[in-house]
Amino acid sequence: MHISDGLLPAKVCIGGYAIAGFLTWYTLRQIDRQPNPTENIPKASLLTAAFFAASSLRIPIPPTSVHLILNGALGAVLGWYAFPAILIGLFFQALVVGHGGLTTLGVNAVLIGLPALLAAAVFQLRGPLSKWLEASLATTICAFAAGATGLGLSALLFFGIVVITIPSGFDTPTETAALSGLLLAHLPLMMIEGLFTTLLILFVQKVKPEVLSRGKA
Amino acid sequence: MNLDLEAYVHLNSPLHRWEPRYKLMGLFTLCFAFALVEDLRLLPAMVGVTALLYGVSQLPLSFLLSRICYPGWFILGVVLLLPLLSGDTVIWQWGALALRQEGSMAAILIVCRFFSIFTLGLVLLATSPFLITVKAMRSLGLPAILADMMLLTYRYLQDLGATLITMKRAMNLRGFQRRHRQLSLVPAIQRDLGLFASLIGTLLVRSYEQSERIYKAMCLRGYRRSRAWGRSPSPAFPRQRGGSSPAWSLGALGFVILISAAFVTLDVLLT
Repeated sequence: MHISDGLLPAKVCIGGYAIAGFLTWYTLRQIDRQPNPTENIPKASLLTAAFFAASSLRIPIPPTSVHLILNGALGAVLGWYAFPAILIGLFFQALVVGHGGLTTLGVNAVLIGLPALLAAAVFQLRGPLSKWLEASLATTICAFAAGATGLGLSALLFFGIVVITIPSGFDTPTETAALSGLLLAHLPLMMIEGLFTTLLILFVQKVKPEVLSRGKA
Repeated sequence: MNLDLEAYVHLNSPLHRWEPRYKLMGLFTLCFAFALVEDLRLLPAMVGVTALLYGVSQLPLSFLLSRICYPGWFILGVVLLLPLLSGDTVIWQWGALALRQEGSMAAILIVCRFFSIFTLGLVLLATSPFLITVKAMRSLGLPAILADMMLLTYRYLQDLGATLITMKRAMNLRGFQRRHRQLSLVPAIQRDLGLFASLIGTLLVRSYEQSERIYKAMCLRGYRRSRAWGRSPSPAFPRQRGGSSPAWSLGALGFVILISAAFVTLDVLLT
């Protein structure tokens, strides 16, 4: 899902930085309004490190294995901190494994971070939803929706950017068919990401519920 | 997870001595100028400038090769498809396999841009200690929250990565890989996802508990903030011991910006 250096024209990279800059400013403003933002900085940083270590794991899905993006889970757990966390995580991924890139950091942050913020908002619906449903069922539904939303929106944004920026004369019907096929291939991955996020959130809620209490977007 | 970007910060090249703030501004500008290049005639000059800067930095070639390996495979996948699928002008054909001119040119452009930008990024970050680079970013306006989070994440990413490897090894030693092959497909996926969710959940809980201890230790060392902390002006960047003079650093920045401007201007004129 990461776009490497050299693939996108500079105008798109600069546009990505502009949008990422605005989102960073907005999320930092929300964080700054919290009663004690410093208290959450070490927690957000270590959870960021844990998430990015975890995203390097390959989950066996026979006959192959997949890397999970975990941006929906990150949004559900970190709330407003998810966007700066993703920005920092992508910066390290670009440096450590060369996954992504420095000029495409802004674009990649928007691709993965914006859906994470939306996933955080989706996960917060468990509060109102628990008025009508049992609390654990509301958490399960919202965790699944957050995980699936995170990956689904990232895939949509990714393919949107690919369609807009690849100018190299592909045969249009072939390109549309290939991209539609890839987009459809992401549907089972959305289900897997949603299911994994649900299992993860339910585990954390059972073992250490206060981890989830901070993720308010 | 190897974060070892500081293996060669002890070297004494002009790029190591270049003041980190000017180095950040200069090399980042050059990266964006390279991202703007669309004309193939500029590619030899672009790769030449990159090779020159890497040579001046005195970083070993093995360091670049070890870092470029993974994204190199990703880029390889993209550029192998482009010449075969993109464009109308066939320059070589073998049965159904046709090499197209437009796709080949796009592939060369992507590979050269990727190589140059990736190498410059490596030069930028491997020629100064990470703490100094973050201080330089902070003095250029990086918000305090991001700077703190970046340093703490950098400090603990390797620790937590090692913890995760240990936990996964323990899981394998308890028979994880052997048993899941005995189950049919859907139960195997469900079981594996459940186990991996518990593994990552345990890592999150551990890191959360560790962060509480770290925060208390940081508070004991005076880590508190006022309401105006986030809006405080960026601190001044202290002069580095053994660094080049400000005039030299500024001159080098001006020179790199001139090169960047030359690439952008030539690209506009040629295309």
